[in-house]
Amino acid sequence: MTPWLRRQRALADYTLASLARRKGKNIALVAVYAIVVFVLASAMFFAASLRLETSAVLRDAPEVTVQKITMGRQDLIDGAVADEIGKIRGVTSAKPRLWGYYYDRIVGANYTVMVPDDPEMIPEPGSVIVGEGIPRARGFKWSGAPLFLSRYEGDLKRFNVARAFESDSALMTSDLMLMNETDFRDFFEIPAGLYTDVVATVRNPNEVATIVEKGSNALPQMRFVTRSDIERTYQKLFDWREGLLAALAAAGILAFVIFAAEKASGLSAEEMREIGILKAVGWDTRDVIAMKLWEGGLVSLGAFLLGTVTAFAHVFFFGAPLFAPILKGWAVIYPDFALAPHVDGLELLTLALLTIVPYIAATLVPIWRVASGDPDAVMR
Amino acid sequence: MITLTSVTKLYNEGRPNEVQALKGIDLEIARDAITVLKGPSGSGKTTLLSIVACMARPTTGRVTLDGEVVSGLPERFLTELRRTTFGFVFQRFNLIRGLSVIENVMLPAAPLGGDHATVRERALERLAALDLADKATMPVEFLSGGETQRAAIARALINDAPIVIADEPTANLDTELTMRFLEIVRALRAEGKTVIMTSHDPRIWDAEGVDAVVEMRDGAIFGEFA
Ligand SMILES: Nc1ncnc2c1ncn2[C@@H]1O[C@H](COP(=O)(O)OP(=O)(O)OP(=O)(O)O)[C@@H](O)[C@H]1O
Ligand SMILES: [Mg+2]
Repeated sequence: MTPWLRRQRALADYTLASLARRKGKNIALVAVYAIVVFVLASAMFFAASLRLETSAVLRDAPEVTVQKITMGRQDLIDGAVADEIGKIRGVTSAKPRLWGYYYDRIVGANYTVMVPDDPEMIPEPGSVIVGEGIPRARGFKWSGAPLFLSRYEGDLKRFNVARAFESDSALMTSDLMLMNETDFRDFFEIPAGLYTDVVATVRNPNEVATIVEKGSNALPQMRFVTRSDIERTYQKLFDWREGLLAALAAAGILAFVIFAAEKASGLSAEEMREIGILKAVGWDTRDVIAMKLWEGGLVSLGAFLLGTVTAFAHVFFFGAPLFAPILKGWAVIYPDFALAPHVDGLELLTLALLTIVPYIAATLVPIWRVASGDPDAVMR
Repeated sequence: MITLTSVTKLYNEGRPNEVQALKGIDLEIARDAITVLKGPSGSGKTTLLSIVACMARPTTGRVTLDGEVVSGLPERFLTELRRTTFGFVFQRFNLIRGLSVIENVMLPAAPLGGDHATVRERALERLAALDLADKATMPVEFLSGGETQRAAIARALINDAPIVIADEPTANLDTELTMRFLEIVRALRAEGKTVIMTSHDPRIWDAEGVDAVVEMRDGAIFGEFA
């Protein structure tokens, strides 16, 4: 070890012994600090992961969705519309879709029911493929248990669960139920030839506006929704949610600043005397500062790590139970819902700088003032 | 040799509560000797010691140590002197509460970056020599008065400073402990250390081994006795 390292070790030893003296106070300090970091980091992880979810949704979203509007409300659409749309120049494909919501009266949850486009995902007659949230909501104990769905009082329809799928994007698929077309029409009593909506893909995204214009002229009772419309809607939703989180974060930072300022101003007579003694026995101002850096570093880094690790577990292992009620809401099934772990390094670094640096600075400034004076005051 | 030439010290200079603690001190303190400063309370003994030990600067005047001027040195050098040249036993001992005896004793060595085990070894030796080895890990606030003083002495000696300074070392000690302290001082002298201390206590001025007594009054030297 070099003398520099040995000096650091001696200073760190002193710091540890010194922190151990006021165990209660220092544990309380680290706890408060860690709670602030925990709230901020949880909010951050959650927001980052929601953003990731949205981009996943948008990636899969069709470029153009066509809905039939009757009396201002969305209505079933004729499958023939897909053919008309397909004829518009620039449209590469147009397909009608069947999907809807089903309210499960037994557990009070909403499921999204769809006829999948992907032939591999189409279940056999009498079977469904479900997102992992559904068997959980129903409390299924073994795989292969049949799923009974009731549309109204006295009605009971039996489906076999062909399989449950898991997905990285749990937010979007945990409440999903896939059926084949015949079962779907039968279950929701949809006449043949009618669909929920029509989705179209286009050759060149720049042509979307023109295609929508042409389509609207040819089919005036149809509403055309583009991906950017959906994006805007989601953005609004997330902006609102993130705004809420930002407010929370601001409150946390404010509390923290007050707390750090309080600590900074409260250099006790005992601490001042201690610094005087250290200087009198031959510590340099730099030694005192280095020791206090160790102290600030141990406290703030310890609290930061504690806060972020618990926040990570909170958000990604336990599904952010503290935030979920305010942040989600479009699906009733969210217990145990696991967000895909996603950590934005830059944001984490910002958080670290925002919490560690002000804390250390706030504690160092008054120490500097005391430590740079002559030590003779401790002699009397 | 430590010499002070026309040293004055003003506290709260230029303010209404200005105090002139030292008024033009000229003094030579021999190395390889035990020197005692005596005088009534408030006469400036502690102030003088703090200037000699580089803990405070004189307002005017000059201090030299073995021929080198130290009174005008920048802070960095004063710190260096405090940790290598002077071992200080404070009037109120100034051990840091909550830390153990050995941790207190090792404090002055921390900035030097010496090997931890070696420093600890040296601290234990010092404590053993002062009969405190069995109290090494005890928090200092549980020590008796005499033990506290010896812990403070051990701390003053940890960096092997050649000049040991003690401010009112026997203020709260009974005769037996005072005699014990004087023995420690003579032992330090025998090791070749320079000892400077202040005292109101006749038992100290008259003690065997004391080479010089300097009497102070009102911030000035009143008399010197050899
Ligand atoms: N920081 C200070 N500010 C103002 N006055 C001070 C300060 N420190 C010491 N004094 C004054 O300087 C004078 C000398 O003080 P000093 O402590 O040197 O006396 P002393 O001889 O050591 O006394 P004692 O025997 O009681 O320890 C006293 O009048 C004291 O009140
Ligand atoms: Mg005094």
